Amino acid sequence: MIKVQTQPFDVGEEQRALLAGRTDIGAVVCFTGLVRDFNESPEVQGLSLEHYPGMTEQALANIVVEAEQRWALQGVRLIHRVGHLEPGDPIVLVAVASAHRRNAFQACDFIMDYLKTRAPFWKKEHTTEGHYWVSERSSDKQDAKRWEVS
Amino acid sequence: MSLTHLNSRGEAHMVDVADKTETRREAVAGGRIHMRPETLALLAEGGMPKGDVLATARIAGIQAAKRTSELIPLCHALALSKVSVDFILNEDDASVDVTAICRLNGRTGVEMEALTAVSVACLTLYDMCKAVDKDMSIEGIQLLSKTGGKSGVYQRSPKANRTAGASSMQPDVSSGNAVAAKGGVLDIAPIVTGKCFEGSVSVTLGDDRSCINVKCLAELRERLGVSDIDVAFTTLSEPTVAGLKSALEQQDERFALLREQRVLCAVNQVMSAEDTPLTAGDEVAFFPPVTGG
Repeated sequence: MIKVQTQPFDVGEEQRALLAGRTDIGAVVCFTGLVRDFNESPEVQGLSLEHYPGMTEQALANIVVEAEQRWALQGVRLIHRVGHLEPGDPIVLVAVASAHRRNAFQACDFIMDYLKTRAPFWKKEHTTEGHYWVSERSSDKQDAKRWEVS
Repeated sequence: MSLTHLNSRGEAHMVDVADKTETRREAVAGGRIHMRPETLALLAEGGMPKGDVLATARIAGIQAAKRTSELIPLCHALALSKVSVDFILNEDDASVDVTAICRLNGRTGVEMEALTAVSVACLTLYDMCKAVDKDMSIEGIQLLSKTGGKSGVYQRSPKANRTAGASSMQPDVSSGNAVAAKGGVLDIAPIVTGKCFEGSVSVTLGDDRSCINVKCLAELRERLGVSDIDVAFTTLSEPTVAGLKSALEQQDERFALLREQRVLCAVNQVMSAEDTPLTAGDEVAFFPPVTGG
């Protein structure tokens, strides 16, 4: 299940939905990304998240498909919010279910690394000093590189 | 010989028929459904549980011909001037031959319409009779003849028949009409579909196909002050992303920004490079590196 939405999400609810009626799942890993009040500059008051409708959903779907090919998974829920968000708000949820913990941990880590470098989202931060578009981080690129198969 | 439904990138596209001359076009397609002799007897005497089998299959075939463009992705929507579906019952080998004729004055052939009519008529025969016979098999669906258009006259030669036996029972199509000749003859006049817009061909793949739709996203949109712009495909020096960038730069020097290495590009929502080929109607988005998550 992949969703791009403006409304908040509830991690507990999403995990329950992922596990509902299943007894074959032995591990579930949930990652939640939150809005920080400091980033490239201190005093972040909020941020706007823009995306490319259509391509976003496809890019996320491709990432999940790749994760499912690499690890034995029993379900993935991925939610990414767009629009205006404030410090403390959840931005992204990746919940991965598997029979064993290692697959769930690794797939969740992989999905986040690829999402950060491949899904067409852009953040604009609003601070007391002004607004600016967040620039990409080379560490995100390196993180994504870890998963490249040689 | 190349496949006309593939563009230079090997992707599916609809053939532009606007420049083709209008000619009278006709296509005849045939197919056959085999069944048990008892099933055929029941069909012939009208004893099927679902009612008049042949009348239903005929209407189904005609309706299907008219809806071919909805079923086959790259087919044009055509205003057919005539569709007929006819049946010949063969008692000798317990089968029904189905023949469909489609005709129009226009710019594109009607063989897909005729083949669709035969296919759906055969499927309807199966559906109408399956309560008494599940062993029926549909076979030999093929184009029998085609006239009009650049490729001229096509007439299936007996050798081209891939299913043995199917040819012997094919009706004589050289006259352009399926003539019911054998067995239980059902000689019914062809049905002409409602309105006939002589020669009109409507292409259903919407919007403006002569432009590239360019989108600038996020920071790039703000720096350029442009979110959407259409670029006439003919202004591209070469049909690639690089060619599009040059064409944009000629329109307005601000677009020189697109040459920055960090600017990314997606063609039809798939990540692309400078040499990615473009065709008219493509959507091209330029944007900075992504920062989600």
